[in-house]
Amino acid sequence: MWQLIVGELTRATQELARDFARFLPRLLAMLVIAVLGWAIAYFLKIVVRGALRLAKFDKLSESAGANQLLTKAALPSSTELMARLVFWVVWMGFFLLGVEVLGVVGLQEYVSRFFLFLPRLLVGVFIVFFGLLAATFFYRAALLAAVNANLPSARILAVSLRTVIVILAVSMAFEELGLAERTIIVAFAIAFGALMLGLAIAFGFGGQDLARRFLERRFLHDKQEQKQDEFSPL
Amino acid sequence: MLEARLAERSVLNDDFLRQLISVGEVDLLVGLPTFNNAKTLGTVVQAIRAGLLKHFPRERVVIINVDGGSRDGTPELVKAASINDLQRSTELYTLRTLHSISTVSGHGAATGPALHTIMAASELLRAQACAVISPESINIEPEWLDKLIRPIYRDRFDFVTPTYRRHKFDGLLLRNLLYPNVRALYAKRIREPYPSDFAFSGRFCNHSLEQNAFDHDESRSGTEISLVILAIVARFQVCQAFLGTKARAHRDSAELVPAMRQSVGPLFSSLDTNFQIWSANGGAEAIPTFGPESELTSEPVRVNRKQLHQMFTSGVAELEPVLKSILSPQTLIEIQNITKIAEDDFRYSHELWAKTVYEFAASYHKSVISRDHIIQAMAPLYRGKMYTFLVENRDASGEEVEANVEALCQTFERLKPSLLERWDGGK
Amino acid sequence: MALPQDTLWYKNAIIYQVHVRTFFDSNGDGIGDFRGLTQKLDYLQELGITALWLMPFFPSPLRDDGYDIADYRSVHPSYGTVEDFKKFLTSAHERGIRVIIEMVLNHTSDQHAWFQESRSSKDNPRRDWYVWSETDTRYRGARIIFLDTEMSNWAWDTISKSYYWHRFFSHQPDLNYDNPAVREEMWDIMKSWLEMGVDGFRLDAVPYLVEREGTSCENLPETHLIIKELRRKLDEQFPGRLLLAEANQWPADLRQYFGEGDEFHMAFHFPIMPRMFMGLKLEDRKPIIDILQQTPEIPEVCQWCLFLRNHDELTLEMVTDVERDYMYDVYALDKTMRLNMGIRRRLAPLLENDRRRIELMNGMLLSLPGTPIIYYGDEIGMGDNVFLGDRNGVRTPMQWDGGWNAGFSTADPESLYSPLILNPLYGYPAVNVQSQRRSEHSILAWMKRIIGVRKSTQVFGRGSIEFLHPANHRVLAYMRQLKSETVLVVNNLSSSAQAVELDLKRYEGNILIEMFGKNIFPRVGKLPYLLTLGPYQFFWFRLRKI
Repeated sequence: MWQLIVGELTRATQELARDFARFLPRLLAMLVIAVLGWAIAYFLKIVVRGALRLAKFDKLSESAGANQLLTKAALPSSTELMARLVFWVVWMGFFLLGVEVLGVVGLQEYVSRFFLFLPRLLVGVFIVFFGLLAATFFYRAALLAAVNANLPSARILAVSLRTVIVILAVSMAFEELGLAERTIIVAFAIAFGALMLGLAIAFGFGGQDLARRFLERRFLHDKQEQKQDEFSPL
Repeated sequence: MLEARLAERSVLNDDFLRQLISVGEVDLLVGLPTFNNAKTLGTVVQAIRAGLLKHFPRERVVIINVDGGSRDGTPELVKAASINDLQRSTELYTLRTLHSISTVSGHGAATGPALHTIMAASELLRAQACAVISPESINIEPEWLDKLIRPIYRDRFDFVTPTYRRHKFDGLLLRNLLYPNVRALYAKRIREPYPSDFAFSGRFCNHSLEQNAFDHDESRSGTEISLVILAIVARFQVCQAFLGTKARAHRDSAELVPAMRQSVGPLFSSLDTNFQIWSANGGAEAIPTFGPESELTSEPVRVNRKQLHQMFTSGVAELEPVLKSILSPQTLIEIQNITKIAEDDFRYSHELWAKTVYEFAASYHKSVISRDHIIQAMAPLYRGKMYTFLVENRDASGEEVEANVEALCQTFERLKPSLLERWDGGK
Repeated sequence: MALPQDTLWYKNAIIYQVHVRTFFDSNGDGIGDFRGLTQKLDYLQELGITALWLMPFFPSPLRDDGYDIADYRSVHPSYGTVEDFKKFLTSAHERGIRVIIEMVLNHTSDQHAWFQESRSSKDNPRRDWYVWSETDTRYRGARIIFLDTEMSNWAWDTISKSYYWHRFFSHQPDLNYDNPAVREEMWDIMKSWLEMGVDGFRLDAVPYLVEREGTSCENLPETHLIIKELRRKLDEQFPGRLLLAEANQWPADLRQYFGEGDEFHMAFHFPIMPRMFMGLKLEDRKPIIDILQQTPEIPEVCQWCLFLRNHDELTLEMVTDVERDYMYDVYALDKTMRLNMGIRRRLAPLLENDRRRIELMNGMLLSLPGTPIIYYGDEIGMGDNVFLGDRNGVRTPMQWDGGWNAGFSTADPESLYSPLILNPLYGYPAVNVQSQRRSEHSILAWMKRIIGVRKSTQVFGRGSIEFLHPANHRVLAYMRQLKSETVLVVNNLSSSAQAVELDLKRYEGNILIEMFGKNIFPRVGKLPYLLTLGPYQFFWFRLRKI
């Protein structure tokens, strides 16, 4: 009986060893691919970084206002960010290839599910990022336009505009990620609708005179009496 | 390079080109960029025609109108000025046919594309001198043509800017910002660096087209000041000629922000490309002037100064986050300090204004925020300066105003080194 | 007679203007004569001309190149006799060439027997044949024509101690046409020449026949009555003979001289001539079209005479001051060339000996509506001598060959009536008939060809004219039409190549046939007809619908 157990164990161990031996080349292959992928990804990162530096990508993103955002978020410069992004994407790609080679069934599926989710995560991040960018830009544009048109409480107008855009961007990002989609949509609709209604009431009732004067100025140019002599700046 | 040029869409459409073929080589060309100017154009065109027939009866001339897409019959008014064997007018006798042609270029009110077309036509027709007249110059007299063209046609100048008789409060942006700036940085005392009536030689025209002066987006408008700067920088012979009384602008062109966009914008942009030249320039020199350099009238007028002051103070307050990225902390504080001063004692000094303008120029160069926003942010500050000017010169005579402007210019010249400091270093 | 019997012969004529003195000297005295002219009729027939206009050849002291006449019924001895003239006339008619002579009605020489009698005393029967006055203040409204030499239209006669009227030189007293005897005698003179066989008269200085106080003394109604009378008699007794008016007036004033077809048959269109030269320099057709649009319609039987140059200066009387200054500046910068408000140069020197321009101007001369007159020597491109006095620079001897006296005369060169042109460019060794005969491409050969083309159709002489107005103002284009025949003429007035689009919608479907080479050009379609022309080039197209 003892010999039977030992015999079985030995046979099992041998099978395990045999399986392992059969598995080993694939593991090796995966490791090779991973290492190769890392090298390629690193090389590409350097190339991209160099190219972006040459194209003065930093300058461009600064004028778009992106750099400020990045620094606020304690992220590295946009060139660096892009380069690293390229690195990770490429390496992850190779890693996935390696996992395929490995042939471990369950693992494959999970890894691929994760990689399928990644693009959507990326899109979501981009939406928020560009939304923030747009918000800053439009905030400034609205502020300047309002100040130069001599509208009262210009700052408030500008800030409201920025808030609306940020909220819109965040909602869109959540929708993209598929997180609490319906809740977000409904909440956004309610908030947005309420804001609009409130503004309409305020403008319509409270700002009647302002509204009238505004419209008159826009459409009844000639009828208005000239209160002062017109001079041209140029 | 050649392939790129050929592939571009031409500024000369087929129909216009056919008209140009019929006109053939000319000695003088008068360009008229228009957009819905039917009210004033009739007078202007007749004065141009009279001027050409009186002062240049033997020359081959053509009047070319480039219209932005008017709906009020502007082009017909231009064509009515032509003189050919189809008409049997008995009151007017001329030696030659006078072509007066029109083309539509659909660019609306922006003058950049119109000037491009005019210059392209001038090059094809090998005009020796080309004058551009604004369709709003209702005070134009036939002599204006002679005054603008003669320096080029007879005296070999390349660019003629105008000087006018104006009210002391008309054209303040020119007098408080553009003229001092161009004078201090480009070292030429050109009174009207943003001219609406001007003239240039065939040589200058060819040069501008070669330089692709019209390829940038900014030239949708503001081409006029770019051309003046190009003439200075490329060392063409520039002079100015006194024309007469400048017509008061009508409503639309009295808007400040568009005016700043099309004048200050290109001016600041030009500093980028011409750094080598303006950074090395010395003191400003006078340019040959035919007639008085400027005449100012001072009849009493109504101006709403209060609103200017209020827009200045509220502007400074509301735009603080924006101004923070543009101005240096000391300057910003100084400006905020003067907002606190009572209206009657308020004064935006020449020094502070010069510093403000130069810091804006430096920030524009570095594109700290979108360039268009930088220009817009400048408007409320300029209103403060305008207010000061109106108050100081309320009862001033023409000479006193001139002295004031001269003092401002000298401040700009004196503070030029501060711009150079901030140009690449500093904030 | 080999002459075509056609009362409207003058509408298709090609006239050659010549002074018998300048053409050919048969007897070696240095002066051209009728026998010499007769010998050269073959040359003229070969050239293709159909009528000769002879400058005055009557006896005369020659102080105004023969326009100061001392005897109306004879021939100046230098030129031959009346018999010589008759023989010449017969020979010309045999070759199909008609002859038009000058008749100076307005004035005579002060050497004329009539004036000698008239001035002798106030009671002389011929006293009234001229216009006498005690003072020189009458007729102040009349302008002075020879501005360079005369100060007044009145001259003091020492013999009769009174003033006599002269619109031209002071040695050319005006005849008094208020006197019926004068009118009768002049008709009688004309009749005697007509009986000899002369085909027509060029009546010199007609506007000035009659004077009236308070007027300009030009174009007066009385003058027209006299003309009508002459014409009536002419038509009665000598149908088919011609009256040609010399009247340097604006077209509107010229119109009167045609009457209702009962005055002159033809008149010179003076105003168009300087404008053709002006249009050429301006490179703009406007002056030419302007004047033709101002030219009034004339009766069907009447005809304009067109010319490029003549024995006088290129007159600039009928242009505005601006135009005159321009013409002086571009054609006669050297003041020696200017005379009496005109330019005394020949065709070739005016056009700077530019062959293309010479062809273009002749092309317009032969295609515009009217009868063309070619001035002797212009068919070979002769030059001029502005240093000879008055207008003698354009009246030098005809250049026949490169030899002795240019083949004009066997006399001593110093004895010639006028010096020859000697410079290397226009001198007779360079410019002469014999050399040009040998070359197919000489001006002479070309003139023969174009005259031939002109004569191949009646449309140029008798057809209507309609101007096209292409946008390119450097191109002068017009349609000539007679019944079913249509010709398109396109002239490039510019010194550089031009493209022009012609609106020929009305002629859609016609094929264009170029009239010199007879080659076909594209058919007229719906689109504007595009033509390209070299510098100063012109086309004559016959339109043909087949």
